[in-house]
Amino acid sequence: MPTSILGPYTRTIIAAALVVVTIVFCLTIRIPVHTSIEPLFDWMTASWFGYIGTTWGAAFAVVEAFHLVGLAFIGGTVVASDGRLLGLILTDQPPRAIIDKTYRIFNWALILTLSTGIFMACGVAGKIYFLKVFWYKMLTLCAGMLFEYGIRRPLLEKELEDINPWVLKLTAVASVMVWFTVAALGRWIGYSG
Amino acid sequence: MNQVIYNFAVWLDGFEWSTAMHESYYMYNWVESTHVLTLMVSLGVLFLIDLRMLGIAFPNVPSTQIARRLNLPMWIGFGVAITTGLLLFYAIPVRNSQSLWFRVKLVLLVCAGINAYLLHKRMNESGSSWENDAVAPKQIRTSAAVSLGLWTTIVICGRFIAYDWFDCELGQSAFISFVAGCVDGQTQF
Repeated sequence: MPTSILGPYTRTIIAAALVVVTIVFCLTIRIPVHTSIEPLFDWMTASWFGYIGTTWGAAFAVVEAFHLVGLAFIGGTVVASDGRLLGLILTDQPPRAIIDKTYRIFNWALILTLSTGIFMACGVAGKIYFLKVFWYKMLTLCAGMLFEYGIRRPLLEKELEDINPWVLKLTAVASVMVWFTVAALGRWIGYSG
Repeated sequence: MNQVIYNFAVWLDGFEWSTAMHESYYMYNWVESTHVLTLMVSLGVLFLIDLRMLGIAFPNVPSTQIARRLNLPMWIGFGVAITTGLLLFYAIPVRNSQSLWFRVKLVLLVCAGINAYLLHKRMNESGSSWENDAVAPKQIRTSAAVSLGLWTTIVICGRFIAYDWFDCELGQSAFISFVAGCVDGQTQF
């Protein structure tokens, strides 16, 4: 069992290793891999989503709006749970009561954001493939999901009193930064190309 | 009325700062990005409060406490959103004032404001007898559901502003021209 080898930090170490591998991957063998996945983007453009996205502007705009609604839910859960960890809001409530209850909403919000994002990507696949900012966003999104499910949640599953308060605060700051960066990069895709 | 709004927009458009902001790639995009990102704070927190009233989120946390404690970040977010929204209007005043979606959005914002006032009024009137209940009384639940619907529609309208389907220069029907505020013989902007 890896747990017995790596101790209680198994998931954290695996997540950190994945982040390092992703960064090395992006900085070294990015170009050949980038070229090899171009057919995927051609397929996305030719798919039903791609067809609807490119020919029916109103459908694309409505999906875009729901993408933003999903982001708003992510933002709300991040503000509530990380704001509580930082001791800024809801300080008269136990952190556990706030953090645990935001998980399910965050999951659904992420599903909404990812599914609408895939639809939107199909509609503009021919454009985003060539945009650096799109790849930065994907990298940040992957880092965000790895951080959330590989580091933050396993950490917060432990008794909060047993965790160094500074670790909790740094985790909260990292969480706020990563999700707001994902959102900002997504917005910047609209201004690029 | 449309003529007055148009004249006001043209007057705003004459300011050097309005043109500078519109033509500045980074400034305009930063302001717009900030406007969208504050959704994550203001709207996200508002949605959480609405979900609490509907019994979906934080059922074990007293509902009035959730509403009161999350009010501050929500209003900070709304403050930034309103400021950046005004700046965005100032950057492109004529097109925005003649956008059908912008006008619908403003009407819906007023409706959302009235709904929020009614929600708080009902909360204050009903006292704290239900605050530990997982689900709020029916009237408050209705307001929360209306709030979720209104704000989602506001986001959709905000997104639609970027599209030119009902722009005046595209030659709209008399009804659309009136609702969008098109003015006969107006200068192209």
